[in-house]
Amino acid sequence: MNILKGKIEKLTVSGSLTLIGIEVNNIGMSAIVIDTSEAAPYLKLGNTITVVFKETEVIIGKGNTDNISLRNKFKGIIDILECKELLSKLTINTSVGKISSIITTNAVNQLNLKVGSEVTAMIKTNEIMLSE
Amino acid sequence: MIEISIQKKLKSASGEMLLNINTAIKKGSLVTLYGKSGAGKTTILRILAGLLNPDHGKIDVNGATWLNTSEGINLKPQKRKIGFVFQDYALFPNMTVIENLKFALNKGEDDNIINHLIDIIELGELQNRKPDTLSGGQKQRVALARALVQKPSILMLDEPLSALDSEIRFKLQQYILKVHKEYNLTTLLISHDISEIIRMSDKVLEIDQGKIIKQGKPNEVFNYKELNAKFQFTGTIIEIEKQDFLYILTIRIGKDLVKVVADESEGQQLVIGDNILVSAKAFNPVIHKIG
Repeated sequence: MNILKGKIEKLTVSGSLTLIGIEVNNIGMSAIVIDTSEAAPYLKLGNTITVVFKETEVIIGKGNTDNISLRNKFKGIIDILECKELLSKLTINTSVGKISSIITTNAVNQLNLKVGSEVTAMIKTNEIMLSE
Repeated sequence: MIEISIQKKLKSASGEMLLNINTAIKKGSLVTLYGKSGAGKTTILRILAGLLNPDHGKIDVNGATWLNTSEGINLKPQKRKIGFVFQDYALFPNMTVIENLKFALNKGEDDNIINHLIDIIELGELQNRKPDTLSGGQKQRVALARALVQKPSILMLDEPLSALDSEIRFKLQQYILKVHKEYNLTTLLISHDISEIIRMSDKVLEIDQGKIIKQGKPNEVFNYKELNAKFQFTGTIIEIEKQDFLYILTIRIGKDLVKVVADESEGQQLVIGDNILVSAKAFNPVIHKIG
């Protein structure tokens, strides 16, 4: 699991869904949950919140990632790269801390990823879990 | 607020054990007593109900003293306003459902509560039947309604659901939560089922050898991180396979086996037989209609 600490800076409610803007070390993140402030008191502006996402949900991009729909993007440098037959695990040093990602070894080879490569770690809004 | 401070020497299979409980329970909360068999859970409920006397102790319930051994106060069970539901239903077999409920009412008391209970526990269609024509889940609903006829200050549930299969169990849990809220009850539950405890309790007291060894919210006692995830189950690990930096876990959840991939950092801490909470975002599962 990747675990980051952030602060809630925006809440947009529609029906039973809430889109949450979170600031993690000056970088904006977004998460969507089936909850509203009434049912879940932790959904409050200014609250500190823990952001959780799984390694296998972290997408890796190289170069310009501006035109990708993902709302959660962290630029960083590959610190550790462990390649096995099918899957590889990357640990990326980003401005919000270390983020781990598990992607296919084929993808590592195709993107020519190495320790020291500059990459962007990206996570879909609906893959982010929150905890108080 | 219920304030409890009780001590009693008990003889257990492994010798003498001192039951020593000091705790306060907030009015309107649902508190679960959790722990091994023989830890003293049922004894605590029996002492609260006045069915058993402690060696020393004090029980105050919403400002009224039920027991104070140093002042010689000891209210009789029938004066204590307790509703009790056990694993066996203890209904009167010769009476219909509604007669069982009416029997619990004191003479001259308003029987509106019975209609209301029949309504919210959905006993309408069963009210003229005798207990031996009812299923286990139906009998337990009647027992629950009967425990509430006297509008108890405390509802005590001693493993009321453990004889029932998981589907019926889940429904009964919903009924218990419904009446707990509707009547603003203070409810004490004894349960071994962690998913049931997580779903139902405001607070858990873990009892071992007659003492509270842990207390707090379910996530504090069972030590898991409370995630906002809506797709959550508790299960038991039955197989752990390590592959490269991943762990492939086979988990029994209810009657089903599922597989979950975990990262090294999580997998390393797990052994077969561990109870775990499995969480995913509600957005992930794909569904198919079956049957």
